[in-house]
Amino acid sequence: MDERKRLFLKRDPYSPPKDETLFLRSVKALAAHHIASCPDYARIAEAAGFTPDALRSEADLFRIPVLPTLYFKRNRLFSVPERKLCVTATSSGTKGAQSLVGFDRKSLLLGIGMMFRFFRYYGVLSPVPVNYIVLGYEPSRHTQMGAIKTAYGTTKFAPALHREYALKDTGTDYALNLDGVKRALLRYAKSPFPVRFVGFPPYMFFLAKLLQNEGIRLKLNRRSMILLGGGWKQFSGEEIDRNAFFRLIEDTLGIPRERCLEFYSAVEHPMAYVRCREGHFHIPSYSRVIVRDPATLLPVPDGTEGLLSFVTPLVTSMPLLSVVTDDIAVRREGPCPCGCGAPYFDLIGRAGVSGIKTCAAGANELLGRQP
Amino acid sequence: MNEALRRLIGGPEKPDVDALKNRILAARSGPALSCEAVIAACAKLSDALNAPEYAALLAAMGMPKERAERELRLARTMLSAEYLRARIKAELGETEDISFTPVGEAFSVRQGWRPLGTLLHISAGNVDALPAFSVIEGLLTGNVNLLKLPREDNGLSAAALELLCEIEPSIRPFVEVFDVPSEDVETLQSLAALADAVVVWGGEEAIRAVRRMVSPDTRIVEWGHKLSFAYFSGEPSDDALRSAAINICATEQLYCSSCQGIFVDTDDFETVCRFAERFAAILSDVSAETPRFGGERVTAQKTLEVYTEQLEALRDPNAKRVFRAEGASVIAYSDSALAASRQFRCPWVKPLPKERLLETLLPYKNLLQTVFLSCPDESREALTALLLRTGAVRITDGRRMSEEYCALPHDGEYPLRRYLKRVSVEI
Repeated sequence: MDERKRLFLKRDPYSPPKDETLFLRSVKALAAHHIASCPDYARIAEAAGFTPDALRSEADLFRIPVLPTLYFKRNRLFSVPERKLCVTATSSGTKGAQSLVGFDRKSLLLGIGMMFRFFRYYGVLSPVPVNYIVLGYEPSRHTQMGAIKTAYGTTKFAPALHREYALKDTGTDYALNLDGVKRALLRYAKSPFPVRFVGFPPYMFFLAKLLQNEGIRLKLNRRSMILLGGGWKQFSGEEIDRNAFFRLIEDTLGIPRERCLEFYSAVEHPMAYVRCREGHFHIPSYSRVIVRDPATLLPVPDGTEGLLSFVTPLVTSMPLLSVVTDDIAVRREGPCPCGCGAPYFDLIGRAGVSGIKTCAAGANELLGRQP
Repeated sequence: MNEALRRLIGGPEKPDVDALKNRILAARSGPALSCEAVIAACAKLSDALNAPEYAALLAAMGMPKERAERELRLARTMLSAEYLRARIKAELGETEDISFTPVGEAFSVRQGWRPLGTLLHISAGNVDALPAFSVIEGLLTGNVNLLKLPREDNGLSAAALELLCEIEPSIRPFVEVFDVPSEDVETLQSLAALADAVVVWGGEEAIRAVRRMVSPDTRIVEWGHKLSFAYFSGEPSDDALRSAAINICATEQLYCSSCQGIFVDTDDFETVCRFAERFAAILSDVSAETPRFGGERVTAQKTLEVYTEQLEALRDPNAKRVFRAEGASVIAYSDSALAASRQFRCPWVKPLPKERLLETLLPYKNLLQTVFLSCPDESREALTALLLRTGAVRITDGRRMSEEYCALPHDGEYPLRRYLKRVSVEI
């Protein structure tokens, strides 16, 4: 399986590998591994009538049994003995349920290698020390949310002089630390080093809005950067116009739009997608996006809305080979006016029943359990 | 968290509690609100709702046309003078004061209904215009009504109440509407302090919050969330299965009275599965005939949930089995726990032999509402009695589970009585 290194450790994540069958071969080998090593996955494959031989071309990738992220929130599925897992992380489940994912040493090294190359491509890796504002949770003993680890991990891509957290650990819980963030920011602004902001977009918006309301306009070091991830989804009430958002950031912090990177990722699909200036998430050559019909989960043609799902042969420890998220997206072939030739997806929204009124579901709270 | 951040960039204005206190005092010092005047105003409102533009308005809010028309028809009926008069008579009996000499006493008394005074309605957004109906019950009983609108209110209630005040200006001093967020406990507490009773609609969280917030001198009238289900004993007819399916599809299982699933009078999981498979076919037919509420995103969510259940069922096919139908699914479970369904045409089917019915359902005190009972005629009486003992408050046919009728008790109570007190005056 070491072939996968050639797939994941490429310098340019978007250029297709010379070996055209490398992706499919890796997927096939990994599918066989999960079926052989994870009895639950083998049962799922059997029920779906799937064997790795069914993968004759990439057009067959949709045949791999797709597992919903919801499934991982309620079930643990490993293809290696649990003692071999060296890192675990949980998703930031909005309603209690959280996915537990675990990585073995090999997958982890491959993933870290991939991420380093990916971030280097975007100029995120830098030897110049920076001051960080983390618009999210401070790492703590009492939680192991993946989003925290990602945010913290992101502060390793350039040496950290100082980190200030918007949500500070109080030992048992978190407290909002907006004043601390503001004070740190004013201090950072006087220092000659760049500033990096890491975290959820809505918090970035509020921070910029807060500065604007107080008439604060900073001119941060021009190598400063904003790294946003985790999506806008927890934040449905306030639809923020992206252009207005980036204008606000340039006005209040002096950071130009091209220094703001927006990421998409999921705990169950541990890789990053970056939004280009045209608003599209381009797909690296080591991953495939399949948009699926909301009723049948079968693939829909490019340009049609459906459930966003991914195929990637990165993880050995869990059958994360083909997963479907609850995001609604559209896939399109490149090239894109931004210059990237790779296909991309656009996020449209999220599956769910929010906004629909219900009283029977409320009664479930009283039962203290889901059916 | 987001709420705290949102407040940084400005939130709604707080109501002026002192001014409100004075207005309440003025309303309560003035002439009593005439019940007949409220009935007449409601009747006029009912006529006004006849206009086709209201159906169009509801349709524009995302409600399927048929359902919009059905809801409007229901609202018109429930606001008609005939309906309201009949309801008041059924719920309160004699509305005039009565005089009598108590047994063994030498004096006479006059007894009658009087309003509690001031009601604070903390309303849920789960039924359209429910806040307005809650306030109208408060008006019929002569109370001053403070209404906190639900967060996801669509404006129907405030518009309906405004129309009512325009029709009958004497109502205006008895209605105050606020847009206070539920997190603003301080303001809600000061509003509750002005009220004789807090009427709360909603889930456990809402009710718990009100119980914490309200001081012991204030009565709390709780209209909490409930669960309803079907109980099938004996060989079911296709028509009985169909009537459960009709309720499931028409209400999308969203209401307290919606059928969440079916308990089958058996101990055997295989029987439950055969039942579920047969029901899935019927549900599929009914589903195809019934317009859907909720769009593509709801479909996507339900597809993921049901598919996840299907994958889980592979782990233990003796605990759970999924029967997918076109646009609907039936999930058979081997346990007998009462639960909300996944909703949107995803009922459960579970075993529950009648011998274990009482012990299984008793723990769900105050949670049971409507039961659709399907059984042979000879066991109907005994099963009805048994189901009522579990705490269920309505036994009905599947088709009528979520239908109102005049003087139907609400969750086992007559609401109007809860907004009144019985007074005694010696004469």
